[in-house]
Amino acid sequence: MWRHGYDLSKETGLKSGTLYPSLMRLSEQGLLESRWQEPERSGLPPRHVYRLTATGLALAREQELEAVAAERAGVLA
Amino acid sequence: MNAAPSRSRRLALTLARHAAWMLPSAPSSWAQAMRHELDYIADDSAALRWAFGCMLASYKARLTHWPRFSPRPAWRHVATSGALMLLIGLALQERAGGQTEPPRPDFDETTCDLPDWSPELRARLRCSTCGAKIAADFIDHPAQKLDTSCTDRTSPIPFLPKRR
Repeated sequence: MWRHGYDLSKETGLKSGTLYPSLMRLSEQGLLESRWQEPERSGLPPRHVYRLTATGLALAREQELEAVAAERAGVLA
Repeated sequence: MNAAPSRSRRLALTLARHAAWMLPSAPSSWAQAMRHELDYIADDSAALRWAFGCMLASYKARLTHWPRFSPRPAWRHVATSGALMLLIGLALQERAGGQTEPPRPDFDETTCDLPDWSPELRARLRCSTCGAKIAADFIDHPAQKLDTSCTDRTSPIPFLPKRR
């Protein structure tokens, strides 16, 4: 699913000063892809949209599983 | 969006332009993305915060992401500038050649003071050479030459007649 920078910022709570460097790094590592989306209304500029690549998605799932496992281990300990 | 952009919006646009300027060549699409995103933020203050963050992002990217703009050369520039300023400072100090302000004489205020004169007049009468206050009775005897050698500032002016 393609997402806009401002939407990502609102969902993650990251400010643009943190979000964009992260997006740049992820893109450079091949974990994120981006493209220009044509505006829905005239008079507005095209918008950059982002989504995780297959590798990025796999890594995100892996990280999520690790986080869940760590949380369970913390609860049991 | 309003026809006339608010001050916050104008400032946000300026910051976004600056962010774009900070990221030339290859990553310019990112700068463009940040700037275009601004047009989709309706609230002016939120747009300003967004633009400020974009500017910080561009600085971070320029300093750390690309080797051409790595922090090391920046620190080198700072160190070089500092060393240069230090050298200039030392050179100026040496050129001064130990010039110091001459010692100010200890002036005894009570020596030349006359009680009959108003404080306003007393304050105006000063020796043109040494700046010491002159006894006000000198005005009554303009034909006499005032000794301005300033050799002994503590002694009273000899020609002045006693008033009482």
